[in-house]
Amino acid sequence: MNRLLWAVWMGYVSLIVLPVADADESKSVQRLTHDGHFKQRPAWSPDGNRVLFARHEGSTIFLWQLDLTTGEESRLTERTDPEYDAVFSPSGEDVLLAVDKASPNQGDIDIHVIHLADGNAQPVAVTEGKLSHEEWPSWSPDGKRFTFTSTRHDNQEVYTADRDGQNVERLTGDPATDMHPDWSPNGRTIAFATNRWGDLEIALYDLATHDLRQFTDSPGFDDYPTFSPDGHHIAFTTNRQGHFDIAIANVATGRIILQTDDDSIENFPSWTPDGRVSYISNRDGGFDLYVHDVLTLP
Amino acid sequence: MFNFGQLRSRNCSASSLSRRALLQAGSLGAVGLTLGDLLRLEASGAEGSPPAKSVILLWLWGGPSHLETFDLKPEAPVEYRGPYRPIPTNVPGIDICELLPRLARQADRYTILRSLHCETNDHGMAGTIGLTGSISGAISLGGQTQPGRIQPTHGSIVSRLLPTGLDLPDFMTVGGRLHQGKRGIAGEGASILGASHEPFRLDYLPGEGLRFPGLELNDGLTPSGLDARRTLLTRLDEVALQIDRSAETTQLDEYYQKAFSLLTSQSSKEVFDLDREPEQIRQRYGKFRFGQCCLLARRLIETGVRFVQVNWSSHVEPIEDTGDGGWDMHDRNFQQFQDRHSWMLDQAVSALFDDLADRGLLSETVVVAIGEFGRTPKINGKAGRDHWHHCYSGLVAGGGLRVGQVIGSSDRHAEHPILRPVTPADLFATVFRQLGIGTPELTDIDLLPAGEVIEELT
Repeated sequence: MNRLLWAVWMGYVSLIVLPVADADESKSVQRLTHDGHFKQRPAWSPDGNRVLFARHEGSTIFLWQLDLTTGEESRLTERTDPEYDAVFSPSGEDVLLAVDKASPNQGDIDIHVIHLADGNAQPVAVTEGKLSHEEWPSWSPDGKRFTFTSTRHDNQEVYTADRDGQNVERLTGDPATDMHPDWSPNGRTIAFATNRWGDLEIALYDLATHDLRQFTDSPGFDDYPTFSPDGHHIAFTTNRQGHFDIAIANVATGRIILQTDDDSIENFPSWTPDGRVSYISNRDGGFDLYVHDVLTLP
Repeated sequence: MFNFGQLRSRNCSASSLSRRALLQAGSLGAVGLTLGDLLRLEASGAEGSPPAKSVILLWLWGGPSHLETFDLKPEAPVEYRGPYRPIPTNVPGIDICELLPRLARQADRYTILRSLHCETNDHGMAGTIGLTGSISGAISLGGQTQPGRIQPTHGSIVSRLLPTGLDLPDFMTVGGRLHQGKRGIAGEGASILGASHEPFRLDYLPGEGLRFPGLELNDGLTPSGLDARRTLLTRLDEVALQIDRSAETTQLDEYYQKAFSLLTSQSSKEVFDLDREPEQIRQRYGKFRFGQCCLLARRLIETGVRFVQVNWSSHVEPIEDTGDGGWDMHDRNFQQFQDRHSWMLDQAVSALFDDLADRGLLSETVVVAIGEFGRTPKINGKAGRDHWHHCYSGLVAGGGLRVGQVIGSSDRHAEHPILRPVTPADLFATVFRQLGIGTPELTDIDLLPAGEVIEELT
């Protein structure tokens, strides 16, 4: 069986035919939720047994944890205000999450860390004295620091901080909007999306040299970058085909292969510990969580 | 009062003018018509019939950013332009946002207004302007009331002037009462036209189904729970109707009767039952609230309801700001737009256009998609955009209107109109004309046109 895939090199697009060894589509994509409510940012535990995601239901956004060993879902917290963007620490013992406030405030979001064993929660990224949103946390591979975005300096920029919120470092300072940072497994690079070069592209920030490199260059939206567990690839959302799809790029070569290509919306990619890609999709009508075998890596 | 200019510009579609108005003005001879001519036109309803029969108003509450939807400025500095690029539509020369790909494939079905503006950047007051064409009686967030009487909303005027005689109300709103913060806004209802022309409210919530937000019962009210007439009568005693408190008892009775008939009639239940739609159609609209509410609007229009207003949300505020998903994105404008609002708008509205067209209804149904204002062209310090009433965009389609065009344009930062500025009142004067409602009809019910017809649309 042959399968058509778009191969995209930085700025060059070509249609190639790649062999797919009797891939059974029904087996390569697994649907993990079935309620259809809108969801965002699935994040996997290091052992692959649990996945966190935010679920929108009515006028609520709450974090849920799906236990794949039992199939049971449970709320992560008992909060009544919106919460989202939860990610497991590399040890699986802690979770960073973005928490909202109850009163109408036009943007006051903080990042907290929850120790799962006892439920103890502590704020770790908070801006006092002004409205600011801190969100989209991502752990460093050793679990000692995390990266996030904040508007504390009157524009949305990328920062890092110690796991207790100390020693904040600002990485970017551009009038563009910087979004969705992700820390590489080797600890050296942070990928994020930015519109400083026009529309949204993926950028790579070298933590040692402070160099910033444009990684994707497509006419349109590239966002939500996330490193594979081995660090060699980045999955991201792109609309280069005219709708939201999941693509995987080779970090070294920049070569890109689309993993999905249909009229439905696929968004919020994340990797499972064993190297599959999960995302939220409305391919079956509502928005649910899917896991996708990566058939061909670029 | 009789407006001859209005009559001329209507191409003498006398069937749209009330006989009373013409006789009162003694003007049949002046316009070259005899009473016999008028009666024949009324009877035939043929050549002079107004092109539109019904209206769907998609009320994008909270104020969508025009720079992220229909008026992108890719050449503007990064502090203004936002992160999305424009994409070509199926009409050469018209570009819209890359996150609206389905609507981009249907630009030949709508007209973009890029030069809308109004008098205020207060949600409540701008909402009143959008829904009535006038700031009169509007209430600000701070509670200050503008002088003058609240004007009837567009749907109430249509209900009053174009009654269908159906069991269903002529004006229905899909969604709850509109708020900014905890304050309800003025101008959603019938005002002087009376309680019988208030919108009949219903709503659809995924996971819960059909709701009737205007009928507050202790434990909720659903059609499936109303099979027993005795139960219904008992429950209706508990109903708190949220309608004009000054309405006369007879009007209240009429409203009760309509509500009663609506909730107990088998045919009404069938109209409301989205499960009767093929799954493919439901998916095409999107299985989120706004998508399913647009589908419900199509079902109501198909049944003969004159005016359906679909509220994107009841609150201007996003869910993250204690609202229910409105467009008021003072912070995280891009995050929310790309995560939810863009594709919800794109999928639901494009599906509505497709569905109406497939059923032959688009040509006789005006569809308007607007909010109360736009957003500040300069991005604020929270990756958001604030209120901006000086210039914003809207979409209008169907009902015999000229489509596949852009009317008006804005300056290089989308801050002000530079060509053909228009107001919400102008837009609805145009919609009314398509329905055959002109100055004479409005004066018949003690109203005057609030705006001027946008001739390029007709």
